This record gives sequence, structure tokens and C-alpha cells, in this order.
Amino acid sequence: MEPLEFRRSTPLTLGVELELQLVNRRDCDLTRAASDLLAQVARRPHPGEIKPEITESMIEVSTSVHARYPALVGELRQIRDALLAVAEKLNVGVAGGGAHPFQHWSERRIMDTPRMQHVSQLYGYLAKQFTVFGQHIHIGCAEGDDAMYLLHAMARYVPQFIALSAASPFYQGVDTAFDSSRLNAVFAFPLSGRAPFVLTWPAFNDYFAKMRSAGIVESMKDFYWDIRPKPEFGTIEIRVCDTPLGVERAAALAAYAQALARRLLIERPHPVTEDAYLAYTYNRFQACRFGLEGEMVDAESGVRRPIGEDVRATLDALAVHARELESEAAMREIADVVRQGNDARWMRERFAEGRSLPDLVWRQVERLREGR
Amino acid sequence: MSDLFFLPHFPSALSQLPWYALLLFGAVIAGEAVERWLRLPRLLGWIAVGAVLGPHQLGALDAGGLEALRPLLDIAIGMVLFELGQRVDLSWLRRNPWLLGTSVLESALAFGLMYVVLLAAEAPPLLAAAAAAIGIATSPAVVLTVARDLRAQGQVAERALLLTALNSVYAVIVAAVLLAWLARDYAGDWRVGVLHPLYLIFGSLALAAAFAGATLWLLRLLGRRHEAQFFCAVALVVIAVWAAASLKLSVALALLAYGAMARVFDRRRLFVSLEFGRVGRILLILLFAISAASLDWSLLASGAFVGALLIAARLAGKALGVLALAPASGMPLRKASLLALALTPMSGIAIVLMHETARLYPQFAPALAAVVVSAIAVLELLGPLLTHFALVRAGETAGEVR
Repeated sequence: MEPLEFRRSTPLTLGVELELQLVNRRDCDLTRAASDLLAQVARRPHPGEIKPEITESMIEVSTSVHARYPALVGELRQIRDALLAVAEKLNVGVAGGGAHPFQHWSERRIMDTPRMQHVSQLYGYLAKQFTVFGQHIHIGCAEGDDAMYLLHAMARYVPQFIALSAASPFYQGVDTAFDSSRLNAVFAFPLSGRAPFVLTWPAFNDYFAKMRSAGIVESMKDFYWDIRPKPEFGTIEIRVCDTPLGVERAAALAAYAQALARRLLIERPHPVTEDAYLAYTYNRFQACRFGLEGEMVDAESGVRRPIGEDVRATLDALAVHARELESEAAMREIADVVRQGNDARWMRERFAEGRSLPDLVWRQVERLREGR
Repeated sequence: MSDLFFLPHFPSALSQLPWYALLLFGAVIAGEAVERWLRLPRLLGWIAVGAVLGPHQLGALDAGGLEALRPLLDIAIGMVLFELGQRVDLSWLRRNPWLLGTSVLESALAFGLMYVVLLAAEAPPLLAAAAAAIGIATSPAVVLTVARDLRAQGQVAERALLLTALNSVYAVIVAAVLLAWLARDYAGDWRVGVLHPLYLIFGSLALAAAFAGATLWLLRLLGRRHEAQFFCAVALVVIAVWAAASLKLSVALALLAYGAMARVFDRRRLFVSLEFGRVGRILLILLFAISAASLDWSLLASGAFVGALLIAARLAGKALGVLALAPASGMPLRKASLLALALTPMSGIAIVLMHETARLYPQFAPALAAVVVSAIAVLELLGPLLTHFALVRAGETAGEVR
């Protein structure tokens, strides 16, 4: 069997994928509109890519590769505007957020493509339950060994990404008490969680070869890890974020990840050991459940502090790198999230005002359109 | 009175009651059979049973029995129109003005072509125009029922509902204007020709606005109690139907506008999921069965030729209108063709219009009815089939892809 080849890419380049919700403008429930939208989108020029996802109620947008935050946010806005222009014409609402607040998963229909139908057959109701919406951040790495180092060094910050992006407090019509209920749907998959603790690309290839020959996986796509290497792009892919309510927030999160990656690769501040994973699932649960107020434990030092505070400390350490990467505006936005609360909090507040979940979805649609 | 007055004697005062039950029972069984074995819309079964039991076939239900059920039909039609009004999103027309163009064009072309056919069949011009106007309307009941049974979502379904609501409104207005002219020809007073349509349109809209405001106020008062809100809505729709009919306004226009305004006024989206559920369902079954029962299917043979031409002209007009503006309105031609097919059903509003016409101008109704009835009879069965076919082929139904 061919080993996976890690394609070299320019270090610290960025790419973002966002899964977006398609809702009708009558009662704001998810609607089947992806095929109609894609047929129209294909007819007008736009940057990036707009693609189908697993169900007809979902659409994925992805940017091209960027070195700097300002260009990334500019392109995300252009893609959004192109998509919304078509959506307006077809009377479809497009919204961010990690999960639809009141849709019923049994109503969803799987897209008619071989891959999606295979996933649906294999996972049964999980595939439909998986109607959740995430942001994926790609960070370019010069080589496979760098990627594996960065992946494990980044694991410590996974709770921060969860808490900063959390935007799925409501699910199936109820307040779940979680800030990110979306990740609970992801954890149900057998190959979710964290990547195995291997630090070099050849070692990762050994692991992958064993999994493949054992018949457990066929390709990298079968892994649903929180962070996974993407050898054909030459990147690592952070997959824990809920899709934020605005594309600007999505760009800021990507810029935060970029600055963090720069620091980790240049300063190598923490030793990367398997012990770092001792508190991993505990911290991740805290982030999903309590968001920025969740508690983060450092397994080695035993220090515990709120995740929001940990983000603030990280921001201080990233200031130099953000200046180099021209992403200070993004860091200010991240600081604002810590100060003012994440999207999950915004959603709970809007629900408290409007008292109806359709009304909340309507405001999500407006917020994606208006930005921030 | 005989000594044995307590023993039953036939026919009893309630003689129609078992037939109503039989109608409902038969319609439901036939509907399920059609759905399960033929995979076609249930309402075809309801229609078939109604037609068979009606006065023109088996005669189990006589004309008097049908007349006794009229109030239920009025309520059913009111509910359908209200629901359709609530479903359409008028702001869509602002965001995609080509849709408004499409709706005007398909209605105008269908009207024009039907008018030509009727003139060729030597109908008097004004009468031909009135019949053509009635033909503009797509049946809200059929499109709504078929779309809901298939749980269809997508551009064909959404646009079919929107265009149905709009062409129903056009049909009401154009028919009102033409009938007013007809009346003027006879009565010789021009003021009737102007005042009657104005009264009909603005009176209906004012009534709708008043009811929409009252509904939202009442629903808010009741709070988030679904049961209470539901019954409150049913009661208000019934009163609205009564009010529109008593004021000699257009029931169709008033109820459609009522639904649409109830939605527009509901800024916080508190009542978006208001539906008539099972109660609405029973009434809908009766609506289809009884409309079919009251149709004189024997006219089908005599009017078949003109009827077929009329149907072809109507379909051609709608298809041309929809296809012409499809690219501009953001719809591929394949889906636009399906949309045109989905607009075929004709019955609900046409029947209402005929009843309204009969009430206002008894002298014209028979002539008008004879022309339209054969077309309605054919489309009664063909229409639901085409809408069903269009939504299935458009891939917009809830069924799993296997």
C-alpha cells in the first residue's frame, strides 16, 4: 500500500471552511435548498468555493489559501455576499451557528452522492443527527513532522477554540445547558476524539497503514478527530469550532489559530508529551458545557483557571506574533469575545428577548448578513 | 300519530347522517389505498368516492344532503385560503421582482389563450372573458394538500404556492370586474361597474386587516398555549368566512389576505407554526369529496371537446409565462417546466367563484357553469396528478433517496 505523502505547503498559510444552515423564511426551520442554491451559484463568479454537504439543508463555503488575515476576511465576506445574493432570490435564509435550534433530524435528507449515501448507510441515524455545522481551520505546514508536532502542541488549546466559537446552545427544541451541543453529536462517532500520540510523519504513516490493513479505515476522511493532519493539502485541520454567527468571527478565530501556530513552531513553549492529554477530555467537556466560564486544568502543573482567563493569557503571549502576521484586529475581536461572551451567550440572550426559537433563527440569519 | 311512535320509521329525520359517515369512511379508505398501492396523492381517492356517492352517480347523497354540508365546505375553503395566505412570503416579490412578473405573465397568457378558445367556441365575449378569468386560478386546496402530503420543500413547491396565491387573487379581481360589467350591460347603471369591484377589493382587504390584527391580539393574550391558540384561530377563520360572505365581499380574497397579513403583522414570529392539523384534515376530505359529488360528470361528455381545448390553452399560457421569465427569476428550465405543470389544478376557487357569481347574478350562472364544468371535471383528477408528478420529479419530496 502507498504511504500517505505529506504535501509541503507554505508554513502558516490559512484556509477556512464553514458549514452553513439553510432555512426557510416562513418558520425558519431547516429546508432542502442546497441543490437549487448550488445550481444558481455556479452561474455567477465568486472567489473560494461553495459546495454541497451531507444533507440538502447544509452548504459549505471554503476560502482559497491566504497568508494574512485581512485578505482572508475580505474573501470570506465576498463569498458570503455571493451566496446571500442567490439565497435572497430563492427566498432561502442562510445562518451561522453550530446546530439548528429546533429542527428534527428525522426530517433531514441525505444528499444523493455516493460518498454521502455510503456515510448514511454506515452510520444510520448518526449521519442525520450529524446535521451540525462546524468551522474547519487549515494551517499550512512545511513538512509532516512539523504538522504532527503542531497538532499535539495545539491540543492544549482545543478547549479555547471550543469556548470561543460555541454557538449551539439549543438543539431539537430545548436549551441543552451546553454552550456547544454540536460536539456531543461528533463524539458519537467511533473514530472521533484525538489523534494518536505520534510525533513524526513516518510514525503516523505506520499507524495509518495498520488501521487500513485492519480494515478499520479506508482514507483519512474516516477519522473525525478534533485536529487531524490533511496530507494532500499539507495542513493540519482544527475541527472543533462551531460555525460562528458571522464570517468576521470565523476569520478572527482562524487568525488566532495562525498566531498560535507561529508561537508554537518558533518558541516551542511546552514540551509535547502524552501526559498533556491526561486532562484533555475533562477540559473539552468543560468548554462544551460552560464555554468561557468552564474550568481548564493543566494536567502537569495541576493549575486550574477559567478558559476565558487562559485565552487572555494566551493573547498576551501572541501579541508579537499577531503584529508580524498583521492580525492585531483579529486579536482584539477575540479579546472582545472573552469580555462580552461567545455566540452561545448571544443566542440565549436573544431567545430570552424574543421568546421564540424561530425568531432566534431569524436573528441569526440577519446577523450573518450584517456581519460581526 | 300511531301508538307505536317509538319504533323507527324511514326515512328518519337524520336519514343523511349515515351517508356522511360512509362518505368520510369511504374517502379515507380510498385515499389510503390510492396512496399505498398506486403511490398517488390521497386526495384522488377522496374525489373518486365523492363522485361515486354523489347525486349524479349512485345518489347516496342527494342535492339537499350536500347543501346541508355547505357550511362545512365554506369553513374548509376558508382554512385552506388562510393557510395558503400564511405560507406565502410577499417580501419574496420585493427581493425577486421577476417572480411578480412571472405571476402576472402566466395569468395574463392563460387568460388570453382561454379567452380565444372560448370565443372560437362562440361564447359571448363578456361571458367568455368571465370564464377565462375564473380559469386563471390554480386550486389552493390541491397544491397545498399535495405539497404537504409529500412534505415537499424547494423552489418548485415554494413558487407553486406563491403563484397559486397570486393567481387566485387575480382571478377574483378580474372576475369581479368582468361580472360587474356584465351586470352593467343588463342594469344599465355604470356606477355598479366601478363601485362593485372597488367594494369587493378594498372591503375584503379591510376585513382581512381587521381580522389579522384581532387574531394576533387574541393569540398574544392566550400566550404560549397551543391548544387554546389553535381553537381560537379556527373560530376566527370561521367568523371571517361568515363576515366576508354576509358583507358580500370576496371570501377568497379576504381569507388569503387575512392569512398573509397575520403573517406580516407577526413581527416576533410567535405563531409561525399555526396549522389546522386533523380538524383541517377532516374538513379537507369532505371538501374534496363533496366538490366532486356536486360536479355533474355527465356534462363531461358533451363539453369534452371545448373543455380539452380550454385545458390545453390554460396549460400553454401558464407554461409560456413561467418559462419565459425562468432564467431571470433564477430557475433552470427543467424545474420551470415542472412548476408550470404543478399549477394545473383548478377547482377550489373556480367553484367558489361560481357560487359567488350565482349568488350575485343568478341569471348568468348556468351559462357560465356549463362552459367551465367540463374543464373542472377533467382537471379535478388530472390536476392533482400533475402537481404530484411535478414535485416528485423535481426531487423536492421528503422520501428517502435509496
